[in-house]
Amino acid sequence: MEIKQTAVAGTLESSDIQIMLSKGNDGIQIDLESDVKKQFGDQIESVITETLKKFDIDNAKVKAVDKGALDCVIKARTIAVAQRALKTADQPAWEVL
Amino acid sequence: MYESIIQLNLHDKKKRAEWMTFMKSLGIADFSDKEVDAIDFTLGMYDGDQLVGTGSASGNVLKYIGVCNKGVTQGSRFNAIINALTSRLYQDQVFHILVFTKLKYSESFQHLGFTELAHTELAAFLETGSPNLTDYLAELPKIDQPDRQKIAGIVMNANPFTNGHRFLVESAAKESDWVYVFVVSTDASLFTTQERVKLVKEGLSDLQNVMVVDGGAYMVSYATFPSYFLPSNVNNVTYQTMMDARIFRDQIAPALHIGTRYVGTEPLSKTTNIYNQTLLKELPPKVNVKEIQRNKNESGQYITATNVRRAIQEGDVTKVKDSLPTSTYQFIKDHLGILQSRIKKGMNIDGN
Repeated sequence: MEIKQTAVAGTLESSDIQIMLSKGNDGIQIDLESDVKKQFGDQIESVITETLKKFDIDNAKVKAVDKGALDCVIKARTIAVAQRALKTADQPAWEVL
Repeated sequence: MYESIIQLNLHDKKKRAEWMTFMKSLGIADFSDKEVDAIDFTLGMYDGDQLVGTGSASGNVLKYIGVCNKGVTQGSRFNAIINALTSRLYQDQVFHILVFTKLKYSESFQHLGFTELAHTELAAFLETGSPNLTDYLAELPKIDQPDRQKIAGIVMNANPFTNGHRFLVESAAKESDWVYVFVVSTDASLFTTQERVKLVKEGLSDLQNVMVVDGGAYMVSYATFPSYFLPSNVNNVTYQTMMDARIFRDQIAPALHIGTRYVGTEPLSKTTNIYNQTLLKELPPKVNVKEIQRNKNESGQYITATNVRRAIQEGDVTKVKDSLPTSTYQFIKDHLGILQSRIKKGMNIDGN
């Protein structure tokens, strides 16, 4: 699916992750900032990528600022940002969960 | 401990005094109208009834950020304020955010996902969000095999485009294979950005190896550079131009393979003179700087956009006719009334 508008979900508070999703044309490009990037960077990126794939988003620029979020939080924020960017936030995609 | 973040109304004298006292305690003392009036909104963080943090935004630029870290984890209040500011801007659909700050705070911002674009020993310039510098550069027209070509760059505000600008571009176009002309995008001049870009394009349309492009957020005009956080003995212009020169040298020029930057000498404006001096000091050896002597019109006067703006104010454009390309002259004649009313409304015409 095509990204319709740039969107953001999440905060910069501890244990959260803030994700910005905008249009891209070269696959899913993730720019991740995290204190634990060395340890969990790959895992965080794969959760984001997998979740976006479920929305059929193949091209997007992702900017993520992680403050120690657990996988479930990363997934929730990714779902929120994807639905906002696709302008489908009024029809929650429960099945993605 | 309960902390809340609320909007501060700086038009309220009491609130403003409280805010100023707090900022002063953190070593910020410049509250000139020029800086404070530009603020769109200010947030304040309270611990009980004590102001412990604040931050403001002006357009997409974060300003006047300060927190007191007494008795709390280092960085937690800073994060909360930046989070509140950025969330608010994102809600307003502002997704590209800039900040100019003291060099020592650059790292704190990078920790929150900001990217440093340039720094001097005094200050750093950072951005976050989208579209960022990479996106901006990707949008610009590219040249095949750029490393084999002589590519030049010129930055101009062109308020409005004159034969002086034209002469500068012609000189560069003669000596290079390709020329990028960056038009400063900040909308703070007598002629709007759209008008300036249009007149530059029209005035150069016959030059095949010239590309007129939007300067984006990165050819920073004096208007966007806040300087309130600098010590008062520092020359603002020097600091601003140094930052501008470094962004060009480290980010723009390498991406576009620009080998030479052309500038016009400026016999009349002290500011532009300082700017050129800074470019000469900062850009080489990575980027050459070539100064082109400013040309004179047929009556032997230097061609400057300032004189053109004065003529508009006086309503006598014919006297600068020989300083202007036909397209610019025609535009001014057709829009004289609008331009004059902008000046009457307080648009400063003596700057750049």
